Amino acid sequence: MTALSFRKSLALVCALALLLAGIGGVAAQEPVTITWWTLASAESPEPAIRAVIEAFEAEHPDIKIDVTIMAESAYGDLMNTALGAGEGAPDIAYFWETPWLPHTLDITDHLEADPDLSRDDYFAEYFTNWATWNGRVVGLPFTVGANFVMYNKDVFDEAGVDYPTADWTPEEYIEIATALTDPAKRRWGGDRPRGPFRAVWRNIGATKPYSDDSSTVEGYFNGPESVAAYTWLWDLVASGATPTPADIEVLGTEGTGPVDLFIAGRLGMATLNNGHMITAANAGVNFGIVPEPHVPGNERFVHAWALRASIWAGTEHPDEAYEFLSFWAGPEGQRINMEIGALMPSLPAVLADYPDADSDYFQGFMGVLDATQTAEWRADHPCWRGAVIRAVSDAWDLIMLGEIERDEVQATLDSMVEPAQAALDECVPRLGG
Amino acid sequence: MKTDRQALGIQRQLRRSARRKRLLRISGHSIVYALMIFLAIVFMLPIFWMASTSLKLPQEIFAWPPEWVPSSPQWGNYAEAFGKYPLARYMLNSAILVIANIAGGLLSVPIIAYGFARFDFPFKSALFLLMLSTMMVPGHIKLIPLFWLYQKLGLIDTYAPLILPSYFGNPFFIFLMTQFIRTIPRDLDDAARIDGAGNWGILYRIIIPLSRPALTVVVVFTFVWVWNDFLEPIIFLRDWDSYPISVGLAFFQGRYSVEWHLFMGATLVSIVPILLLYFFAQKHLIGGLASIGVKG
Amino acid sequence: MPSFWRNMTAQERRSARTGYLALAPWAFGFLVFYAFPIVATFYFSLTQWTLVDPPVWVGLDNYTRMFTRDPLFLSSLKATLLFVALSLPLKLVLGLMLALLLNLKIAGMNFFRTVFFIPAVISGVAVSLMWIWFLQPDTGVVNTLLSYVGVQGPYWFWDRDWALPSVAIMSIWKVGGAAIIYLAGLQNIPAHLYEAAEIDGAGKWRRFWRITLPLLTPTLFFQLIIELIDAFKIFTEAFVITKGGPLKATYFFLYYFYEEAFRNFNMGYASALALFLLAVIMGCTVFVYRTSDRWVYYEN
Repeated sequence: MTALSFRKSLALVCALALLLAGIGGVAAQEPVTITWWTLASAESPEPAIRAVIEAFEAEHPDIKIDVTIMAESAYGDLMNTALGAGEGAPDIAYFWETPWLPHTLDITDHLEADPDLSRDDYFAEYFTNWATWNGRVVGLPFTVGANFVMYNKDVFDEAGVDYPTADWTPEEYIEIATALTDPAKRRWGGDRPRGPFRAVWRNIGATKPYSDDSSTVEGYFNGPESVAAYTWLWDLVASGATPTPADIEVLGTEGTGPVDLFIAGRLGMATLNNGHMITAANAGVNFGIVPEPHVPGNERFVHAWALRASIWAGTEHPDEAYEFLSFWAGPEGQRINMEIGALMPSLPAVLADYPDADSDYFQGFMGVLDATQTAEWRADHPCWRGAVIRAVSDAWDLIMLGEIERDEVQATLDSMVEPAQAALDECVPRLGG
Repeated sequence: MKTDRQALGIQRQLRRSARRKRLLRISGHSIVYALMIFLAIVFMLPIFWMASTSLKLPQEIFAWPPEWVPSSPQWGNYAEAFGKYPLARYMLNSAILVIANIAGGLLSVPIIAYGFARFDFPFKSALFLLMLSTMMVPGHIKLIPLFWLYQKLGLIDTYAPLILPSYFGNPFFIFLMTQFIRTIPRDLDDAARIDGAGNWGILYRIIIPLSRPALTVVVVFTFVWVWNDFLEPIIFLRDWDSYPISVGLAFFQGRYSVEWHLFMGATLVSIVPILLLYFFAQKHLIGGLASIGVKG
Repeated sequence: MPSFWRNMTAQERRSARTGYLALAPWAFGFLVFYAFPIVATFYFSLTQWTLVDPPVWVGLDNYTRMFTRDPLFLSSLKATLLFVALSLPLKLVLGLMLALLLNLKIAGMNFFRTVFFIPAVISGVAVSLMWIWFLQPDTGVVNTLLSYVGVQGPYWFWDRDWALPSVAIMSIWKVGGAAIIYLAGLQNIPAHLYEAAEIDGAGKWRRFWRITLPLLTPTLFFQLIIELIDAFKIFTEAFVITKGGPLKATYFFLYYFYEEAFRNFNMGYASALALFLLAVIMGCTVFVYRTSDRWVYYEN
């Protein structure tokens, strides 16, 4: 190319760009338009989202829904940006972070005045834990989620091991996992907890990492119950019956759970959730579901969550927004998502019609929902999820890497109390307990 | 006769030494080739690995032992990936963004860099460092103020936030271009000046044609960055049909599972335009001063 | 009229005017897209801000906390500096070596250049995943190859000592992008200098040290500053692969910033962290910039 034609092509590119810059204008605004941000997922895929809007607009010709369907990985950043900027947030969205809650519209009165929907239509614990906050209704729980142990029946049968039952203990978990492990096939019996979250304390230690008033770490994080829980974890790691973080991450499942490993038949038991359950069912795995093991005598907890579907407090059309919210997160919308996607609705009457309702795994899942739920160790403690976990994660890493002895667990937890307390003291005044 | 024979001998000798030289060059080349091929394999592994994953069934991806070449390649995965989301449309959107950004860079960068490279003025160093400093802050910190600004200007859900900044000069390219112009001998400017060219005439007739390798870098890097940019489109765009390919690829990563086979296939297809562009843009990387044999 | 302007000759003023005019588009963009957000950030750094509630003025509290009672600030700064020290020299040297190789005039070079560019093109998740796969201690390609020669490979990302070097290796692998810029720089070395040197009987090695390297210093200077800034801003690898671990070995400064801002809802403190990082990189850049008179050769 000569210099001249190089310059010519440069001019051409510029002209083309000016032309293209004209494209991409803004859509004209309708009289009442409700903006809605949502995510496409296996449970609620794009066609289901479109079908919900179509059904709603057919019923309400005076309301238009302007939907933004986005990718999961940037949703939090986007919500933080919009709420931080103070404008541009949507009328309706998932408000799943606790610090976002002050920005939700109180819909207590709307729900009470609604002739077609009441809070009793929902699973009671899900509604209490995920739709109410400080005595007001801040949204509607969309879908039901829970953690439980999925076990691959084929792996159990091949190893000649009995299936686990709902009343099993943490010690039995290690025993069964060891019996299922087969290094030659690079197969492990069971996974290990993926982070210092709730299960270690709630089900195994029957304690919490700090006091109920969020003021003291001492005696909780390093208390005898917590030490017992971490010692169990140490035993699990030492058993070799569970994949290391390196094994888990190589499958790219660190963030999503080792469902791929489970489906490939290389993991006998895996602590997963209903999203994974559907994935495994679709892949044709022969599996069952039991609650996570717990120490006899303690109440059994299940880590359970819903997606909090809320109205932004800054909305200009609260009534119309409620109309759509109660449609989308009510029986009609969740049924559409169940039929087109694979959603587990948070309304028992709708969930009863689940396509696979007779299957073993679904029955196991319903059994899991009977246990007491522990919402608070995930969503309602932003300080725990952020600052405190970070301060104690070294203890977790040391056990995961096998760098401490069994009798050093107590001392290791003790050494984390000071930074954990400092993190708690910094965070609680800012974000609340 | 005698001289003929002598000449013949010299010729033969010359030929022999030329052959030796050629042999040397060939053996030198074969070492270079061996090295290049080894490195190429190392650099190609990800492509190979992605291609292999993209042709597997979901349950095969994590089977043990792993299969490098799938025994029954699932070519349908590609159709599935492109049927699931409007990826072709998204690639077109990305292309529009890329062209608009490239134009912005080509219009603004040479002028600004010319100012830094060829003119003296008070506070030049300070301004230059200030310009460099814009590369030093994390992008996340600018999101909230810019979101607020674009919201006020009514530019959310348009391509403007993704295009406009390039028309005011990306500091990376300004810096690159400034360094480049500084290596062009000023004698050439002076010669053009004697021929009656003004400052802008020199930019247009001397600097830009001689900066073709640097401008090629601007084009190629803009392409790569805009094509891969994920955070800004997701923050500033709202319309399903307006997303670029980077956002389209992210849809394969769900909340609880990733469709690896579809994701890898779609990623592979998505990088083809960049590699094609680069393959053909290379001839412009070669050139500049070296090719015109300027006497400096 | 400021005194510096009065003291200039008419020609100098003319030159300055043209210079300012050329910089005008940048200056406008700077004010809107950069100065405005950075001033806002400075204000936020003097507040306590949960991101979603209005900011509360706290004066210099965030800065006193940062400098006096935040062990994580020190450890993340240390990890980042270590990474810079490890990756920067390697990237500079290997990038140049690759560019010299790619500058050879042999058949099929277009193909090779394209191949080496691939790592710089594939973004984020796919690359991170592939590296996890490659460096997996028991089954990964790298340790498998090492075991053939009787070497027990390390635990890479999952070892407190090897995690940071692993991230550095990953970033070096993307050196093909830098090589392109070197390649462009090599084109501006006049061919007649090489011809003259060859006539003088200078060998390849000598020509490299006497001609290529000195005349490439403007590009080297560019690369040094760009890679410096880039290395300080290491984030994605920690974000996707190591999550800052194990034992905070890869808890880099920008990762800390991101966690504070968007996970911990501590935007005020995160703003102070971001401005501190800006100051550190700026300090290093000014230092390099000052030394550049001594080793960077421009025409004239």
